[in-house]
Amino acid sequence: MYNLLFFITLIAVGYLAGTFAERYHYRSIHLREKMFINLPAVTMKTVDYPDDKIKSAELVYGSAVISIDYFKRFTASLRNIFGGTVKSYESLIDRARREALLRMKEMAGDSRMIVNVRIETSTIGRNANKKGVGCLEAIAYGTALTLA
Amino acid sequence: MKYTPRLPKSNVNVTPTSMLREFFVLTLSLLAIVIVIYILLGFAVDLIVPRISTDLETKMSELFIRSVDAEDIDSEWRGYVQSLVEDLQKRCTKLPYPFKVHVREASSVNALAFPGGHIIVFTGLLGKITSENELAFAFAHEMGHYANRDHLRGVGRAFVFITISTFLFGTDSNISQMLAHALNITELSFSRKQETRADAFALDILNCAYGNVAGATDFLKRLPKEQDPGTIGHYFASHPENLKRISDLNKIIRDKGFKPAGKKPLPKIVQQ
Repeated sequence: MYNLLFFITLIAVGYLAGTFAERYHYRSIHLREKMFINLPAVTMKTVDYPDDKIKSAELVYGSAVISIDYFKRFTASLRNIFGGTVKSYESLIDRARREALLRMKEMAGDSRMIVNVRIETSTIGRNANKKGVGCLEAIAYGTALTLA
Repeated sequence: MKYTPRLPKSNVNVTPTSMLREFFVLTLSLLAIVIVIYILLGFAVDLIVPRISTDLETKMSELFIRSVDAEDIDSEWRGYVQSLVEDLQKRCTKLPYPFKVHVREASSVNALAFPGGHIIVFTGLLGKITSENELAFAFAHEMGHYANRDHLRGVGRAFVFITISTFLFGTDSNISQMLAHALNITELSFSRKQETRADAFALDILNCAYGNVAGATDFLKRLPKEQDPGTIGHYFASHPENLKRISDLNKIIRDKGFKPAGKKPLPKIVQQ
C-alpha cells in the first residue's frame, strides 16, 4: 500500500510539475520566435548574394537539454507495451529543437541570415540510474552571414 | 527567391491530445489485458490441478521444502500433532498424501496447507487450543483443502500473476513488488466456497475419528474478538466471517445428526 501511494505521488508530482514547466516554456518559445521572425534560418547551402557583399560568415550554434518527467516516462513505458506514437515524448523533442534553434539565432546577433542549418538530437544521462530517467539534448548549428 | 517571414499556424510535431487521457487509456487497457490473462490462466489452473498426480506434487514440493523445514522449531507439540494427523489419516481420510506437520513459531492463529502434504501450524494456534477435538478439527480442515486440492489452485494463480507482472515491469520494479506482496496474501488464502467445503469435510473426519463433533466450533467461537476478518486490517482475508462459519457448521451438524458432545482433553505432555 505504501509503495502504491509513493508511486501515485511521483506520478502526480511529475504530471503537475511537468505540465507547468511545459506551458511556461512554450509561452517563452512563442514569444521569442516572434522576436526572431526576421532572421531567416534556412537549410540552403548557398545564397545568391555576390561574395563581396558578404562581410562575414561564422559558425553559430545553440543547444538545449530538456529532462523527462516521471509521468511522461511512465506513460511512454506503457506505450512501449502497446506500440504506436509515443505522444508523451513528442512535446519534449519539439521544445528541445525549437529552443536550440532560438539559442542559435540569439548567438547570431545582428547577422542577416543563417544558412546550412542542421539540427541533431541525442540523449544524455540515460543510464545514470536504473530507472532510466534521461534527458534529451538538441543542438542546432549553421552559418551566420553578415552582409556589408 | 524572396523570404517571407511567418510563424506556423499549428504545431504539427505534437499530437494535440491530453496526456492525462493517454495515461488513463494506456493504464486501463493494460489492466484489462492483465485481468483477461489472469482469468484465462485461472481456468487453465482449474483444468490442470485435478490432473496433477500426488507424486508429481510431492516432487515439486521438494524444491522448496528445505526452506520450510529450516523454520521448524523443536517443541513438545511436534510428536503429538504428527501422530494425531497420522491417526486421522489412517482411520478416516485415506488421502494419498504422506502428511508431515511442521510446527512454526509465530503469533498468527493459523495453519497452512503446503503442496506435498506439508501442513504448517503456528504456535499461535496451538496456544489457543483447549481440547484434542479442536486441534483435530483444525487439521481435518487443512486436510479438506488437500482433498479438494485447493492448496494447488492458490499457489498456481499466485505464481501466474507474479510471472505476468515481472514480465511486464521487471523484477526490481515497484509495481511488481507491490503486486507480489498483495498476491501473497490474497492468493494463498482460499475462497469462501473452498473454506466451507473444507469445513464440511473436517466435520465428517471428526465424526469418524471420535464418534462425535465436539470442539468443532469451540475454537471459532473464541476467535472473533481477536481475529475478526471483517475489520480493515484483514481486508484481504477470505475466511468467511467467523459467525457465518459457525452457523454453517451448526447447520451441517444438525442436518447430518452428528453428536455435539464428548470432548477429549489434550495429553499432559502439551498442557502448560
